[in-house]
Amino acid sequence: MTELVLENVGKTFGGVVASENVNIRVPAGRITGLIGPNGAGKTTIVNMITGMLALSSGRITFGDTDLTTMMPHRIAEAGLARTFQNIRLLKDASILENVMIGFHMAERSTLLSALFRLPGAAKETRDTRAAAMALLDRFGMTHLRDHPAGSLSYGHQRRVEMMRALAADPQLLLLDEPVAGMNEAESAELARIFRELTDEGRAILLIEHDMRFVTDLCHHVYVLDGGKVISEGRPADVLADPVVVTAYLGESIDAA
Amino acid sequence: MSDFIFNYIPVFDLFLLHLGFAFSQYIALRSGVFSLATAAFAGIGAYTAGILSVKLGLPSPVGIAAGVVLGTAAALFLSLPLSKLRGVYQAIATVAFVQIVVSLNIYLEGLTGGAMGLNGIPHTVGTPVLFVAAAGVAYMMWAINRTRLGRTFDVIREDEAVAVSLGVPMARYQTLGFALSGGIAGLFGGLEAHHTYALEPNQFGFTFLIAILSYVVLGGRSSVLGPIVGTAVLIALPEIARPLDENRVLVYGLLLILVINFLPRGIADTAIDRLRLRRVARSGSAPAKAGKAVET
Repeated sequence: MTELVLENVGKTFGGVVASENVNIRVPAGRITGLIGPNGAGKTTIVNMITGMLALSSGRITFGDTDLTTMMPHRIAEAGLARTFQNIRLLKDASILENVMIGFHMAERSTLLSALFRLPGAAKETRDTRAAAMALLDRFGMTHLRDHPAGSLSYGHQRRVEMMRALAADPQLLLLDEPVAGMNEAESAELARIFRELTDEGRAILLIEHDMRFVTDLCHHVYVLDGGKVISEGRPADVLADPVVVTAYLGESIDAA
Repeated sequence: MSDFIFNYIPVFDLFLLHLGFAFSQYIALRSGVFSLATAAFAGIGAYTAGILSVKLGLPSPVGIAAGVVLGTAAALFLSLPLSKLRGVYQAIATVAFVQIVVSLNIYLEGLTGGAMGLNGIPHTVGTPVLFVAAAGVAYMMWAINRTRLGRTFDVIREDEAVAVSLGVPMARYQTLGFALSGGIAGLFGGLEAHHTYALEPNQFGFTFLIAILSYVVLGGRSSVLGPIVGTAVLIALPEIARPLDENRVLVYGLLLILVINFLPRGIADTAIDRLRLRRVARSGSAPAKAGKAVET
């Protein structure tokens, strides 16, 4: 089974330490949580995994593949897909078009096939549309397919991002605050889909603020503070860890 | 009636030529390269075709083909430094490239005829050839939009981080878009050389650059109809109202300011969007949430 492994990963910006000695394992078939207060370094970790930031130290592997110095698009080819904390969709394009973009790696058409074998290339576009429609159906958004992405609610836009990421058929899905702006029913529906995805053998790394969501869903949780992993383990144990309570949850634990 | 048509053939030819240049500008912007180098590639194509024909007496198809090759090659060469730059810096670098080509055409007197221009190019290109070329390029653009290339160009242009997260090798696609831009401009440069007898170095300078950019900004940068509409409007406008012709550049400038402020996506793309929205609304599938963009 492919497993994402971060070994002693560190990142410094000038003299500022953003991550230090981070060790994280994200196994297949599981939902792993990454939590921590704002500025804890969660996004830095995500950016290093996806290749958007170079590591200062340590290494990242995915199964037998060393991702440490790989170009971002190669990392995507290796089977990692992600969603973004600040939703990034093509706002003027329709939902369906946004999801179709996710199929880039599954498609084969090139300039030459577009010019000289257009029927074949156009058929590929039709196949992609059908596959995108199947995803829309799975996420219950078929009726919205022609709407411009920018006109939808946050909850719907997050789902479009997830469908786009899933279109690449990734082995590992990095979800950056997937339920922000969603109501209870919507996040429960997503939780069901996440479980299905891990049942299919995929790994999920969930970066999240919503404590209840993490507790209900994750098999294993890492707590990040000041760029370091300060606690890890089963959600219930971690949330009871005094280090976590003082460093992260503070007084707001009853709000969670 | 036939007089009427005859009178307008030169305008139609001008439209077809400039449509080609507009497509060159369009495909660069479409692939997310903020290039203004179309003028330079056009100059390279035109002078290549002109020189091969006048100095070496080669047949015009050979010269035009050489123009395409050199335009593409120049774009491939330029794409190396350009891939290190973003946005407005790409624009500045490509404007500098345009000026370099203009200067070379002025100072390489022995080859290009210098400031006096290159004269006596055989007139071998007429309306049919221009039409076939413009239609061919339009088909190419349309075919691109029908396949994953169009979608990939869209996502690169809108959001590079998303593009790479979906496995898009950005540099490769931008090089492809830019090389197409160079090849198309080279082709229409060569056609222009054989359509007009004479070339003059400043012909492919800053004024030309602004005109070409105006076509695409006015018409739209996404749909294939964009450059067609933009070019048609801006070529026809001075013909309809003669006084505008003397102030062509001024009119282009004003139109650019107006369009950027009030129709930032251009005429064709805005119209297509409106039609689509209306269809969505009429289909009755509008959910309560859609339209009110923000929920939290």
